[in-house]
Parts: sequence; C-alpha cells; structure tokens
Amino acid sequence: MTKPQYTISCRKVWKIFGPNPGGVRPLLNQGLSRSEILAQTGHVIAVRNVSFDVRPGEIFVVMGLSGSGKSTLIRCLSRLIEPTEGEIIVDGQNVVDFDATQLRELRRRKMSMVFQRFGLFPHRTILDNVSYGLEVQGIKKEQRHDQARQVIEMVGLKGWEKYYPHELSGGMQQRVGLARALAVDPEILLCDEPFSALDPLIRREMQEELLRLQNTLNKTLVFITHDFLEAIKLGHHIAIMKDGEIVQLGRPEEIVAHPVNDYVREFTRDVPRVKILTAKTIMTVAAADAASGHVTVHADTTLEKLIGLTAVSPDPLAVLDNDGCVIGMVDRTAVLQALSEGN
Amino acid sequence: MSRTVRNKRPYLLLGLGLLVVLLLVHHFVLNLNLFPEAWDVRLREPLDVFKQWSIRNQTTHPVFLYFFEPISDAIDFALRRAETFLLWLPWPVLLAAVFLTAQKAGNLRLALLTSFCLLFMGLVGLWPQSMQTLALMTVSVLIALLIGIPLGIWAGRNKKVERGLRPLLDAMQTMPAFVYLLPVVLFFGIARVPSAVATIIYALPPAIRLTTLGIREVDRETVEAARSFGATPRQILFKVQLPLALPTIMAGVNQTIMMALGIVVIAAMIGAAGLGGVVLDSLRSLRVGLALEAGLAIMFLAVLLDRLSEAIAVRNRTGVMVMNGRLFPRSWQTNRLISRLEAGLDWLYTTGGRGLTRLASLSRSDFVVQYAYLFASLLLLGVLLWLGRTLDWTTFPEAWRFNLQDPTDTAVRWLRDNLFEFELGPFLLGTRPFSNFVILQLLDPLDAFFQEFLSWPALILLVALLGYWVSGWRLALGGAVVLFGVGLLGMWELALVTLSQVIVAVFFALIIALPLGVWAAKSNTVAAVLRPILDFLQTIPAFVYLVPVIMLFNVGRVPGIMASVLYALPPAIRLTNLGIRQASPDAVEAAQAFGSTSRQLLLKVQLPLALPSIVTGINQTVMMVLAMVVVAGMVGGAGLGLEAVNGLARNQLGQGIEAGLAIVILAVVIDRLLLAGATRTSVSGNR
Repeated sequence: MTKPQYTISCRKVWKIFGPNPGGVRPLLNQGLSRSEILAQTGHVIAVRNVSFDVRPGEIFVVMGLSGSGKSTLIRCLSRLIEPTEGEIIVDGQNVVDFDATQLRELRRRKMSMVFQRFGLFPHRTILDNVSYGLEVQGIKKEQRHDQARQVIEMVGLKGWEKYYPHELSGGMQQRVGLARALAVDPEILLCDEPFSALDPLIRREMQEELLRLQNTLNKTLVFITHDFLEAIKLGHHIAIMKDGEIVQLGRPEEIVAHPVNDYVREFTRDVPRVKILTAKTIMTVAAADAASGHVTVHADTTLEKLIGLTAVSPDPLAVLDNDGCVIGMVDRTAVLQALSEGN
Repeated sequence: MSRTVRNKRPYLLLGLGLLVVLLLVHHFVLNLNLFPEAWDVRLREPLDVFKQWSIRNQTTHPVFLYFFEPISDAIDFALRRAETFLLWLPWPVLLAAVFLTAQKAGNLRLALLTSFCLLFMGLVGLWPQSMQTLALMTVSVLIALLIGIPLGIWAGRNKKVERGLRPLLDAMQTMPAFVYLLPVVLFFGIARVPSAVATIIYALPPAIRLTTLGIREVDRETVEAARSFGATPRQILFKVQLPLALPTIMAGVNQTIMMALGIVVIAAMIGAAGLGGVVLDSLRSLRVGLALEAGLAIMFLAVLLDRLSEAIAVRNRTGVMVMNGRLFPRSWQTNRLISRLEAGLDWLYTTGGRGLTRLASLSRSDFVVQYAYLFASLLLLGVLLWLGRTLDWTTFPEAWRFNLQDPTDTAVRWLRDNLFEFELGPFLLGTRPFSNFVILQLLDPLDAFFQEFLSWPALILLVALLGYWVSGWRLALGGAVVLFGVGLLGMWELALVTLSQVIVAVFFALIIALPLGVWAAKSNTVAAVLRPILDFLQTIPAFVYLVPVIMLFNVGRVPGIMASVLYALPPAIRLTNLGIRQASPDAVEAAQAFGSTSRQLLLKVQLPLALPSIVTGINQTVMMVLAMVVVAGMVGGAGLGLEAVNGLARNQLGQGIEAGLAIVILAVVIDRLLLAGATRTSVSGNR
C-alpha cells in the first residue's frame, strides 16, 4: 500500500449537540438557520458539514472566533467529542469506525494534543507530566523517564524536572504541555489554541519555538487559533470557520489577496500585506511570449520587494515559477492596488 | 413572573376568606381547639406489635437470620474487637501514638494539643468510657467510609447515579439526627449494634457528597488531557481523578468523623455505652458536674479527631512535611524568652532528625531511610507496649485524678442560690425571672395563639396558603396533608408546644446573630475575634451546650431553648457576615463613589445584596433548632422532643416513633416553606 496522500481527511463532518441530533437533520435540509434550530429544538450545531485535507508534515490552521466550532472540530478528530456524522480518515483509516481499543491506540501513539489552559496534572512533577503518555502505554519507569528527559531538554526546560506545574510561568507550563504531547512521538499534533493564554511576547517566542520544532521533527499539525496573524505566521493552509462552517480554505497569501467575503476581509485588514502577498497572488496571468525582455521576478517574491522593483522599472515585471517559466505579469498598478486593498 | 402572581391572587383571597370563616366558626359556633381524638390512627399500636414480633422472631425468621443477623454480628464483632483492643492497650502507648502522628502530620503545637485532649479523658477518670466511644467512632466511621467513598466515586463519574442520590442525601441532611434511630431500633433492637448502625447512616452523607464533589471538581481539561493520551477509565480514575480529589475526600473524612461524634449522646439513647451514656445518665439524674466532665471529654475527643484528621488531610494536599519545633504564634517571637525557647526546640528537632537519618542510613536501605520516622516511632511504641504490659499501665492512675465534678456542683449550687433570682433595686433579676418571662410572655401566648385563637383547621389552612404563595399548589397541598398527618398521629398539641419553642429559639438566635454578623462584616477585628469562637462552637457536639445551660437555667422549656440558640448561632452569624462581605465589590465601590455614608452603604447596597445569603442563614438556624428538639427534650423541653426521649427511655417505641415522625414532618414543612421563600427573595434580588 502506498502512503496516503493526506494524513488527515475530514469528509462532511457534523457535530450537533442536543438530545436528538438525528432528528435535527431534516430541519437543516429544509434550510433552517443555526439560530432558528437552536430556538425551535434546543440543539446547537457546532460543526456543519466540514471537509478538509491535511498534508503530511504541514501545519494546518483552523481559525475562527469563539463559538465558531473550531474547538469542537479538533476534538472530533480524536473523538474526544463524538462527531454526529461524517468521516475522519487518518492514514487511510476511518477513525469514526474505530472501537474503544483502536481509538485508545490512536490516542496513545498517533495523535497527541496540546491544550489551551495547558491541562497539566497539578499533582505530578514536570517529569511525570511529560511521561504520562508513555506511562499509560505501560512503558517502564526508567525508560519513560529517559525519553521524557530528552523531550524536556528539547523544549528548553532542562533542570525543571522535579518541579510542579504551579511553580512554572505560563509560557513554561505550555512548554511542558508541548513536551508532554511530543514525548509519545506522535505523527500528528493537535493544538487547541495553545498560545492564547500567554502574553504577546511569550506568545511570539512560543510560535518561533513551534516552527523550530516543526522544522526538525516534521510532525503534522492541526492548530486552532482565534488570532489571524498567528494563523498566517504558522499555517501552510488555513481554514476560516464561522458558525460551524468553513467559509474559506486556502494558503495564507491566497486568503489575504482574495478574501471570499466581508467577514474574511475584516480579518485581513490588520495583516502586513507587504510581507504576505507575493507576485503570484497579485499578477495578471500572461503567456510566456508577452514577457520577453522584461525584468523577471520569482513567484514567491513579496510585495515589499516588488514595490522597489516596480518603482525603478517602467515596464511590467515578468513572474517566473520554480521551473523558470513565465506565468504572469506584475505592473505598478497591480502593486498599488494590492497595497490599497488593505485600507 | 407577574402573570403567575396575578393568577394566584384570587386563590389567595379565597383562601384568606375561608380562613376568616373558619376562625368565626371556631370562635362562635364550634370549638376546634383540639384535634379530634377519634381521628387518632394509633400508629403506635401496630408499631409496638411489630416490635414485639421482631423480638420474638429474631432467632427464627429468615429476614433476621440471613440479613440483619449477619450484619449485626459483623458489626458487633468489630466493635468488641476494637473496644477490647483499646482497653487492652496501655494508655501511654495510645498517648505516644497520638503525639507522634500529630507532630509528624502537623507540628509540636498540634502534638501537645492532641495529647492534652487525650490526657484529659484519663484525668477526669473517664478513660474506659472514652475508649468505648473511640471504638464506636472508629468502627462506624470506617464502615461509613467503606460505603461512602465508593458510592461517591460512582456518583462522581456517573450523572445518573448522582441525580438518584442527591435528593436522598438532601433529605438525610434535613432530618434531625434522632430520626435515624427509629428504623434502626425497629430492626436491630436496643443495644450497641443499632447505635453503631445509626451512627454509620448519620455520618454517611458527607463521605458520599464530598467524594463526588472532589471527583467532579477535577479540572475538565485535565481529565480531557488524560483521555487524549489514551488513558483507560481506570487509569483516569487512579492516576488523575482520585489523586486530585484527595484533599476534598479527606475533608469528607473529617466531616464524617465530626458527624459521627455529633450523634454520640443520641446514640447512647439506644444503648451505646461510653461517654454518651455517661452524659445521658448524668443529665437524667441532674449530676451536672459529671455531665460537664463527660461533655468536655467528648468535646476534647472531637477536637482531637478534627485537628488530627485535618492535619493529615492538609499534609496530603501540599505533599510537604515540615518538622519543626514551632510552638507559639509568629508575632510572639519578638519576646526573647520565647524566641530562645523556640530556637532551642528547633535545634533539638534538627539534631534529632539528623541523628535519626544517620542512624537509619546504617541499614543501607533507601526504604528505611525514607521511613526512618515511622520505624523509630514503631520501635518506641513497641518498647512502651512491652513496658506497659509488664508494669500493668492499662488503667489510668487514679492518683492523677483531676476532680472537676465537685467544684462544678458547688458552682451550680452557688448559681442556684445567687443567680437564679436576685433583687437589684426595684427589679427582680436572674435566670428564673428570665425563664418566667420567656414562658409567660412568649411561649404561652404563642401556644394560645396557635391552639386557641387559630384552631387546628385554620393553622393547616394558613400553612397551605403560605405554601401556595411562596411556591404553588404542590407545596400547599403537600404541606397541608402532612400537617394533618401530625394530627392523625395524635401529636397535634405536642407539636404546637414544640413549634412555639422553635419560634422563640429562632427569634432569640436571630436577634443575636444578625447584628453580630453585620458587625463582623463591618469590622475585621470583630471577625477575627469571632472566627475561632464560631469554629470552636461548631466542633462541639450539640448536647455539650446543655451542660452550662442546665447550670444556669435548671431544667424545663427555657434551657432547651437556650441550648438551641447557642447551637444555631454560628451558621446565622457566619452567613450574614459572608453575605455582606461577598456583596459585589464593584457595587460597593460604586456606592462609595457616590458619597454614601457607611450606614447608607449597609442599608441600601450591602444588606439587599446579602439577602439571599441571610435567608439561607435563617433557614439553617431553623433547621438547627429543629435538630435540637430532641436534645432539648433531654433537659425537659416539653413537647415532641420530650415525648420522643421518653418513648425510647421507657421502651415505648411506638410512642417514640410517632413523636419522631411528627418532628420530621415539622422540619420538612418548615424547610420547604423557607427554601421556597429564599428562592423567591433571591430571584427578586437578581432583578
């Protein structure tokens, strides 16, 4: 069997909270809205027909405001919350069909989770917190402590093994949370707003740390956040959720360049566009022959650099892809337009 | 809200009209003073028949043979064993064990306190009785925990179980302690086993409740984290939930112990030997001195068990053991003598500890080093035991007898001669005139009001109307039916006597407690002074209050009321204080910003905000006074309490049960009415 193309694939996942979720579906088919259903039946539609794919080794960010269903969605992936409907394919297997033992194995070895308020065990030392996942797998004390010590060192907490969580600062506690998740060497890391409870400075530091770890360990991450800037900084792909649905899914620069509606556009306003937008996202598609003799730029060149280049070049620039083929053109008007959309 | 009120009005008016008609009939047509005697269902007769039957069939009927007998035998075995063991143990061994445990779990101060508590029992010559009570406590509490903790865990992990248990536990906690005796006596007779059974049942609720609470309190994210790592339910329970719930569970253990001690004298009414029995007998024969000694012994036992179990619980929470020779409050250390003394003790402790560790490390075993203190203690106890057995130290030396009885009795005589009645200028003062005033001006008029002015049908209608007003049809109908039941039991007049005593006691308790509570909320000094006193009052088992009260007021209805007032004060003061202190600081700050005077702040903001808490306090006061009805009966507080006490004392079980049932009915009706009323105030308070 070849390795599946996607590490996680969600297909039409629903989560409806209430006494009789099945009975609510017909109403949805009649086209009733979320609030109408809540008023009539008392059921809350937390996740509504969500599908997405996560590629191996990428950071997939789910971004949404509170109440958008993102935390419910991430818990559906490891069935901490049972999805009402839909398929969740992890490495080619549908997690929804798993029995209790298979599910436990999945949680023990393949997926681990980092929590918003850290979810540390207050009665255990840092070392015992980090080795918890190995402990429930039944690994001997010596071995699990050795493994845990390595991970603790990796997240920069060497020397703190004997302390208790409450003796550490918030940022350090979340390092413990991260170490605890990494200690079982999972393929997938589920992060539920891991940095939301931290101060802005610490948050940035932790984001860098996460990127660094991601570069060396190459895990697949599903990362929840309500902070659009964080999503853009970390995500290879971003899904924006509203009222339980995904309203837009794409690469960060695609979303910034082409928000599908005002809701998404609102988030993109504070984004430093010059750093995110690239030649590829603002160019007009053109044939190779039209570009002969023009100054060329790579497709991933940021808007920041394009400003300088177009300033000194009266003619449009030719945009090249990785193979050196011309795929489009960028002129001053395009650059100025891309800048102005931000306001 | 407004709609329901409008709907209720015509019915309320109709009811009031009916009430007036009833009163007119009663006063001008037909005297309805007495509940018709012909309607008495004479429940006592079948009950007594059943009792006779159960005594006759105790050895033959399968229900006794295969259900009650084995339970009874097992408890009896455990009780006998525990008692024999504690009486066999030379007293210095127990003393040393308590000292060593207390100083390990707490500090030297705790060790000295607990040792003194234990020593006191010997000094007043009540060592054997104390050991009997201790045995009863140990066995009952252990069994209660054995049942309660697993049940609590089950309820903590299963919402359905909790929903099923909760109303049962609520009901159990509103019942006066005495009620537990009744069914127990029916099935187990009168002896030491039934008193243990009653103690177990009575002490069970906090063990269940606090275990459940502990499990539920564990942070959801923590449990979810454990689940997300694939922990099995068992692993979650043992590695996460139980360790984190432990402090709360230990608080439950502490409360279970205190509940068990609280019923010790009442349990003596159905045959428990020990300190409770001594108190009971001495109260009956009015030997106040002896009652004081035994009462104090129970109190010290309560303090001992309370502080010791609390220290162990707290130690579990922090996981750190501090061994130090601290003896006095930190602020006293400015005194040179004290700081010298403490430095000396500290030196002794550190050197001793170091020596112990060095000695233990000779064995080259980590285990021995880690538990060095335990091994050393066991060794010491072993030596003491051997010494004690060879030198026969089992009985507490008579020569050390510290006599409290005679001076107390002298004091009581002096009080009787001097304080009961004396003249001061034109006034006749003292406790007897006070008693007379309470009886003639408060109790008798109230009695007359209920019985002669209102008449029984009018009183039932009044309760129904109140129930309808504060809640709805169900409470109205339910209240009326069960009150009518009191009449059917033939307990109507006695119930009215009790009711007026309860009202007077609650009245006294509130006029003392509410101002004190407000004062404590306003002044940190007052709060700091009151706190230890209230703590202390709440650790004391209820009937210990009887002793000083008898000294001052002799016997009768008034001393019963006074004991109830003392007993009910703490929660009322506490809840008033808390309610005012917890009133939203934002609101208080806002009121201050508008330039309110302290008085305006209190009357316009703090008191209204504290109202729900105060109403809860009043409810608790009433329930505590009701719980004291039987205890008050022991000092001659006429009414249902006395009837219940006499029923058990004279082995007229049916009569005791009838009185007990009537007390329960009173408690339940009043509790429901007040709770519904409290909900109403808190709802309107939130608007």
